[in-house]
Amino acid sequence: MPEYKGMVQPVRATPDEMRKIFAEPVPDEQKPEKAIEYLDEIRKKFRSFVVAMESCVKCGQCAENCHTYLGTRDPNNIPANRAELIRKIYRRYFTLEGRWFGKLVGAEDISLDVIEQWYSYFYQCSQCRRCAHVCPFGIDTCEVTFIGRQLLHWLGITPKLHAAVGGAMEKVGNHTGLPKPGIVDTLEFMSEEIMDEFGVEVEFPVDKPDSDIIYIPSSADFLLNPYTLMGAGMFFTYIGANWCIPSNVTEAGNFGLLFDQYYTQRGNVNRLLNAAHELNAKKIVWGECGHGWRAAKMYVPSLADRPVRWPLTHVHDEAAELIRRGELKLNPENNPEPVTLHDPCNYVRACGLNDNMRTIMNAVTVDFREMNPHGVDNFCCGGGSGILFDDPEMYQRRIQLSQKKADQVRATGVGKDGNGILCAPCSICKAQLYPMVEEHELGVHVHGLIDLLAKALVWK
Amino acid sequence: MPCLTVNGVDIELDEDGFMIDPDLWNEDVARAFADSEGISELNEDHWKVINYLRDYFKQYHIAPMVRKLCQETSCSLKYIYDLFPSGPAKGACKLAGLPKPTGCV
Amino acid sequence: MKLLIGQILPYITVTLFTLGVLYRLGRWVGPRIVHNITLSPWPKTNTEVAIRVGSEAFLFRNLFRFDKALWFGAIMMHLALLNIIGGHVVGFGFLGEQFALIPGLGISPELSTEMSDMLGTVFGILLFVALLYLLFRRLTLTPVKLVSKPSDNLWLIYLIVLVGVGNIMRLFHDFGVGYEQVRDYIVALALFQPVTHMELLNNGFFLTHYLLVQILLIVFPYSKLMHLFGMFAERWIVNRVYKDPAPGMPNIDVAAARRAGIGIPSDDAAEEGV
Repeated sequence: MPEYKGMVQPVRATPDEMRKIFAEPVPDEQKPEKAIEYLDEIRKKFRSFVVAMESCVKCGQCAENCHTYLGTRDPNNIPANRAELIRKIYRRYFTLEGRWFGKLVGAEDISLDVIEQWYSYFYQCSQCRRCAHVCPFGIDTCEVTFIGRQLLHWLGITPKLHAAVGGAMEKVGNHTGLPKPGIVDTLEFMSEEIMDEFGVEVEFPVDKPDSDIIYIPSSADFLLNPYTLMGAGMFFTYIGANWCIPSNVTEAGNFGLLFDQYYTQRGNVNRLLNAAHELNAKKIVWGECGHGWRAAKMYVPSLADRPVRWPLTHVHDEAAELIRRGELKLNPENNPEPVTLHDPCNYVRACGLNDNMRTIMNAVTVDFREMNPHGVDNFCCGGGSGILFDDPEMYQRRIQLSQKKADQVRATGVGKDGNGILCAPCSICKAQLYPMVEEHELGVHVHGLIDLLAKALVWK
Repeated sequence: MPCLTVNGVDIELDEDGFMIDPDLWNEDVARAFADSEGISELNEDHWKVINYLRDYFKQYHIAPMVRKLCQETSCSLKYIYDLFPSGPAKGACKLAGLPKPTGCV
Repeated sequence: MKLLIGQILPYITVTLFTLGVLYRLGRWVGPRIVHNITLSPWPKTNTEVAIRVGSEAFLFRNLFRFDKALWFGAIMMHLALLNIIGGHVVGFGFLGEQFALIPGLGISPELSTEMSDMLGTVFGILLFVALLYLLFRRLTLTPVKLVSKPSDNLWLIYLIVLVGVGNIMRLFHDFGVGYEQVRDYIVALALFQPVTHMELLNNGFFLTHYLLVQILLIVFPYSKLMHLFGMFAERWIVNRVYKDPAPGMPNIDVAAARRAGIGIPSDDAAEEGV
């Protein structure tokens, strides 16, 4: 069972699975020593990490602002304390005060127990950056979690889920392991569905050379989010775009951001740029995926191994722009249900999508109710950073982590009559919320935002 | 590693109880899974779903979109949950011997 | 001993403080800002950055937004501290007559000294009370208690003692020191001359206050007090100018696409006469 000395832990990848994503597990007895070696390397590279290590005054403001702590009340889930799990080691080995004063300043020797602690708590953090948002100094604990997970990955400790995603990406170019025939079959099915439901003819071009636009959907859309996939197809058809989906990168996500920002994340970036190059595309438009959009928008420039010739935008950016210019004919009455918006953390705190999501929402629905708090102040769904673990212990933890979100949704009253819509335009949010709205009995259906936009399109 | 023994054959499972090697699947394996999932007997509709999943998987090496599964088998999602209490992915796919889906699902 | 504390230690203190801070800042400058991790909504100009960072640094914007009690305690403490430090500089520098130097106000040197005394007293007590509040908060509020290390509480106690001794000197004139003596002493130190008024150190309160300050400065670079600089270093990373790429897709003409009836099944289109 995934538990270590009373701490919940995700199921970990086997050594073979680690090797598939080009990581060689370090034997247990060498782990502490190697951890220090890797930490030393990283602290000399990332200023965001060093400053986070050396600036916290422990004011405690982050505690009540973290959904993980609110849901679990585990002291190590307070962002300042979560960072402390690594800071105590950093102090002990890389600062004078830690070497001289030890426990007094909270320094501690490295041990396997500490590494196991990292594994438990860095994978309960959603990397939502709400703590950075509320911190008086702006200390970004998300960076600390990133680096904690990076160290764990180099030591050979990565959740099975994340490693499997990495492996699938290597193999077929998406997280769910969809090969091209499966992609094409699903897209043909989507065309039929659109015809049946909306009476519109929509084609989903795949790998069409010289497409002006390549659209990068989340691969989860192919299994679980039909309306998001249909929505994108309808949107591009409506505006008469010369577009296609590249079968080589049918994945908006980049789990590299979440567990390995070196090999995995970089590899995915290059895979994307290769696809854009091969199809001779002019622009890359991103689908609904929170962490993936952050990884694309903010990390492609620093991870690309060549000049990036393709402007990257999010489909919400483009839709909002067309709405502002009055080019889309929309009938909000097509979405009569009460709807609330769950802001994906990466959209609002890392990618500046706040206003554009609302531009769309207000144009395509009639009864839109904001959560409190919302926008940049919003709380995470509890699944952020891919902690969508299914084993019984971690699943219980996911229910706790979504408690705050459930309270927020309930307070809007959209689910009162059982027909509410919880718009959560991100695949991780959707995957977390599909089961969670049932667990918390919220009376809402989970949808993407482009789903609602497509329903509101007036074709004639 | 957990294991399921069917007709004297040891079948390796992952931590979530999914088959590691889908080729070892046969109808008795599905019945053994049904026991562990608390499904007392596999009826015609169960088999319809299982067989559709297997056929689709054989052709495309992936599970179909849930919506497609519902349409092709004429089962509503709710009915699939009645048939397989753990749902289409964790229940039906497991019985059909498909590997556990990865990613944001 | 007096010679050590009064004449030698100050130079050691200043040297160690300066080198220590430079060493620490050097450690921050070495590593790079590898990826763009600015927090959105991001500032669009450097003026916006300055406003954002300034409001955090001087008004404690985030504390105000998310924890009013902490904001009140923190801003009182820091505001009082700023005034106390400033008061030390101008108070000793101008012997309390600084306000008389402001032209146009017509403040007499005597009134200025009184004002100086009063401001010093008020901010001294305010600082003391604010520190007590912060300590009380650290010892009683569960989340804060959970994140505190012994050193966090010790620093507050240290400052409370340091400020307390200062307040005693201000409130009870018998224990106090003369502005002039201190000024002459500092000036001598600064000019690398043998110090005058060594008798200042006979005052136990002054000696304690002075020694505590020196120890504080020596330890400063290795303590949480570095947040003075950390605050700006961190904001420099997470509050940067970012400009969104312009939206707009190539070869898109929605009006033309709609006129052409793209997506509308052809038999439908025929009916509509498109």
